[in-house]
Amino acid sequence: MAQAQEGRQATGRQAPRAAEVFELKSASLSLLALVLRTADLAELGAELRQRLGDTPEVFNQDPLLIDFSQLPQAEPVPADTAEPSGQGQLSLDAQADGVAEIDLPALLALLRGYRMQPVAVVGAGPALLARAQALGLAEAPDLGSGAAVRTEPRGETVVQEVVREVVKEVVVEREVAVPTDAPRTLIVDKPLRSGQQVYAKGGDLVVMALVNHGAEVIADGNIHVYAPLRGKAIAGARGNTEARIFAASMEAELIAIAGIYRTTENPLPDTVLGKPAQIRLEGEKLVMEPLKL
Amino acid sequence: MSKIVVVTSGKGGVGKTTTSASFATGLAMRGYKTVVIDFDVGLRNLDLIMGCERRVVYDLINVINDEIKLSQALIKDKQLDKLYILAASQTRDKDALKQEGVERVLDELKAMEFDYIICDSPAGIETGALMAMHYADEALVVTNPEVSSVRDSDRILGMLNSKTKRAIEGKEPVKEHLLITRYNPNRVEGGQMLSLEDIHEILRTPLIGVIPESEVVLQASNQGLPAIHMKGSEVAEAYADVVARFLGEDKPMRFIEAVKPGFFKRLFGGK
Repeated sequence: MAQAQEGRQATGRQAPRAAEVFELKSASLSLLALVLRTADLAELGAELRQRLGDTPEVFNQDPLLIDFSQLPQAEPVPADTAEPSGQGQLSLDAQADGVAEIDLPALLALLRGYRMQPVAVVGAGPALLARAQALGLAEAPDLGSGAAVRTEPRGETVVQEVVREVVKEVVVEREVAVPTDAPRTLIVDKPLRSGQQVYAKGGDLVVMALVNHGAEVIADGNIHVYAPLRGKAIAGARGNTEARIFAASMEAELIAIAGIYRTTENPLPDTVLGKPAQIRLEGEKLVMEPLKL
Repeated sequence: MSKIVVVTSGKGGVGKTTTSASFATGLAMRGYKTVVIDFDVGLRNLDLIMGCERRVVYDLINVINDEIKLSQALIKDKQLDKLYILAASQTRDKDALKQEGVERVLDELKAMEFDYIICDSPAGIETGALMAMHYADEALVVTNPEVSSVRDSDRILGMLNSKTKRAIEGKEPVKEHLLITRYNPNRVEGGQMLSLEDIHEILRTPLIGVIPESEVVLQASNQGLPAIHMKGSEVAEAYADVVARFLGEDKPMRFIEAVKPGFFKRLFGGK
């Protein structure tokens, strides 16, 4: 499910002036984020086993970002990393020491056991970050907390001020930095057979023919299938929680929106199974509704 | 203009070699110059089914490696003078199959003015199967009416329209035909096997024929005769229908209805 983009094509040179052994250029990678809500690895392991035990092959060495920013403290923190607030920053800094006890090697082993490939962390306090880096994980810049993570823990009031300033700056940065990808729609009019996979990057996917068992339709935006959908449908692949899945006959074996997924081992409700239907995300819940055509 | 037809399935043991043998024989019976090639390098059995195993001196790999001329490797069928067989190697394995080599052999066969070149694919989706389907113009996808065979056939159908030369070069796609083999209408009625409608629902490919389950197939291979030679048997008739439909004739589908044995048959223990 991850895609790597290159800044520009590398071209071969015919007469090397100085023998170029390699090139460094910018690339970006979209990856899955695992937002931890508990530092208790036993609890995490049990939950993973429950959710993934029957479908251990869901992940295939997918690069993973571990997000520590939501780990609970003595009092629960509003979980909203999308909008950095002064409050959020403070608790982040405070929890830097709280989660220092998390057994990082054990966590990595647990995730790797499910074929996730942790490559970076975000929302980690300085101590945890140092340990993560020692284990070969990169630090992912989180626009909200990046600066706060790097500063040394100081007196509370000082931190508050620093953070407030940083937040202002960051907000500006974010406005500029958001990549504007013109959303494109990918239209597929051949049936998708077992083992075939289509990814509509940066936009919606429209499939005009059958999506068979074992086929995968993936889109950053919405997925529309004007035929039976029997394979895996993964919408909002890069985190777009507004994405929806529409099918003329909903029989998918797995549905996912912005990372929230469900296999149909737990069968789809009768109102939806085999009928025209749409699936959308409401908070953290996948809502399935028949379409009235 | 020669036509290359691949007989493939994905799943093993569904009847590819049986079909390749009978299909090629059927075309030759109709007067077309036909060659059938075994792509199952290392596990050859087309020659056994065709009854020419004792006459195999040279094989496909010898020709690909330029060790001998194609005409030395082609075996002429004893019953039909328009039918030729090109056996696979038994001592080498699929790594010996090279794409340029296969292309060269097929071009040479076309130059020898064969009307039909039938490629008997091995099971699976690896080199042997990919080589057999790469240059195909048409495909017979052999499927048993059971779930794993249908799933594998779906995969193969996907590869036929993405991994073949026609697909890669954006030409007219490989013409796909679904052939159901080992069909037992009584088991279908009993719900043990998938029906033609169930299979169509999943594969959505035009059906070229249904070959009923029959002991005749085993008898035929023991004798080294393609099943289509077993005159009067349902299997032979079904294969003849397949050849007819392939050549454009309109034939109703036979042997697909569950037959309740008549009173006397039941009385005297018939099937």
